[in-house]
Amino acid sequence: MNLLRLTPPPCQPRLVPSGKSSKELTLRCLQFQASWQRHQVLTMPQRTVYLDHSATTPVDPRVVTAMIPYLTEKFGNPSSVHLLGQEARGAVDRARREVAALIGAKPNEIVFLSGGTEANNLAIRGICEVAETHGRHLITSSVEHSSVRGICEVLEKRGWDVTRLPAYENGLVRISDVRQSLRPDTVLISMMLANNEIGTIQPIADIGRLVKQERAEGRRQLWLHTDAVQAAGRIPIDVEELGCDLLSLSAHKLYAPKGVGALYVRRGVRFASQNVGGHQERERRAGTEFVPGIVAFGAASKIAREELHQHSAHLKTLRDRFEAGVKRLVEDVVFNGDNKFRLPHLSNISFRYIEGEGLLIGLDLQGIAVSTGSACSSGTLEPSPVILALGRDDELARGSIRFSFGKDNSQEDVDYVLEVLPRVVARLRELSPLNKVSSF
Amino acid sequence: MAYSAAFKDHLARPRNAGELLDANAIAEESNPVCGDRLRLSLRVKNGRIEAVRFLAYGCPPTLVCGSALSMALENMTIEQAMSFTKRDLLDLIGGLPSRKQHAAALAIETLRVALESACSAIL
Repeated sequence: MNLLRLTPPPCQPRLVPSGKSSKELTLRCLQFQASWQRHQVLTMPQRTVYLDHSATTPVDPRVVTAMIPYLTEKFGNPSSVHLLGQEARGAVDRARREVAALIGAKPNEIVFLSGGTEANNLAIRGICEVAETHGRHLITSSVEHSSVRGICEVLEKRGWDVTRLPAYENGLVRISDVRQSLRPDTVLISMMLANNEIGTIQPIADIGRLVKQERAEGRRQLWLHTDAVQAAGRIPIDVEELGCDLLSLSAHKLYAPKGVGALYVRRGVRFASQNVGGHQERERRAGTEFVPGIVAFGAASKIAREELHQHSAHLKTLRDRFEAGVKRLVEDVVFNGDNKFRLPHLSNISFRYIEGEGLLIGLDLQGIAVSTGSACSSGTLEPSPVILALGRDDELARGSIRFSFGKDNSQEDVDYVLEVLPRVVARLRELSPLNKVSSF
Repeated sequence: MAYSAAFKDHLARPRNAGELLDANAIAEESNPVCGDRLRLSLRVKNGRIEAVRFLAYGCPPTLVCGSALSMALENMTIEQAMSFTKRDLLDLIGGLPSRKQHAAALAIETLRVALESACSAIL
């Protein structure tokens, strides 16, 4: 963004309501031109700070280097028998090993697909289609990603019962609630590993142990799926420790490109493929593989695994510095999500008296990119269901902002945001009729 | 659609923000669905709007509509203000995406309520 490149908009007489004289009109134009010049100076960002890594991450240059040959000379179809095809097949297999290694899985338990939403669709719909002769009840949480919420709504329309467990004030589901919600006809528990808006880390390993215990007592038709899209690369993941049967991943949260993801499917778990008509991915997901994307995903997974602890510590340092600064500099804020069981890179804060999108745009004008789950930006006009699920009121849900740090952010970035944020918040609060201590 | 330069200017430097201490027409309206809220205070004398202030809570278009409307209203007669439409306001700010046009509708609704209170005070 470079606002200096913008030119002042022309003053068009037709834009001024009738009843204004030409003298008034000219005066208005001059005032507007002058204010525009001041605006350029005032709004010119001093630096660009990207704090929206939960939405997507920039592609790591090492990942770009790895994938380029598969966009150029190594263009073969992995299903082809000739050398070019086999070269692509080998690359896909190597990437499969890297993605598997990131989560402690075996390579043949990884199904490549287009991303997290498809992985969630394949996992839940695929299991439910196979399992519905045993039962039509599934358990999930009230703070799942919209893709899981959407699938559950579709299943409900088809006669399934869905239990949505509360996440309480700290954003965490309780294992006792999961246990109490189990019914003889429950076939699936789908619970995210880490939340995309507030970053809370759910007790999936505890749920995995519960499922294992149920199986030991003779219940064969109960599976556990977890959406690990936000967690992968930010906290260690081991599918054996989690005890899950299915796990969703997305490459673009891991410094790889958009358009590729994976579903882990524990060996022996049967599910109905949702893409048919090809033998790819051992007939679990038909369609020619996105080879450059898969290669990038493999490279990104290797980097994430090798550098995870270093990056986690860095992200937590930045996040904690940021939150301490906000507590010191901005009044009337509420931090959302449990402080201990939370992803190291994410901070979700509700600002009283202001709406999140106004703050988002105000920060954007200063070169700072964040996101909000608030009303208007989501297109639904409703406040964030995740923040509401924590028991927050409408005002706090509408005034929530997600700051998500990445490995390339620095302490200088944090300090810049702490310099800008209090000013933007103060300005919006001065405009707000909800702020009864307005300076006017 | 992208926001216009006029929109960005109002957002960066809202005009007439605040509340008039000697207002004789005040209205505060909200959109019950998305929670946006706009407060207008007007000082009307001899059938003409002498001064306008606004306060806004909501997405950026709500702030921008408040600012642009307040500028447009200054020195208008009550009659001219009554005939000021959502379309006029949208033209002033270079338009809004369709899903954001509720902000302009809220601004005009608040203006109507304020003008009605001004007329009642006169009568």
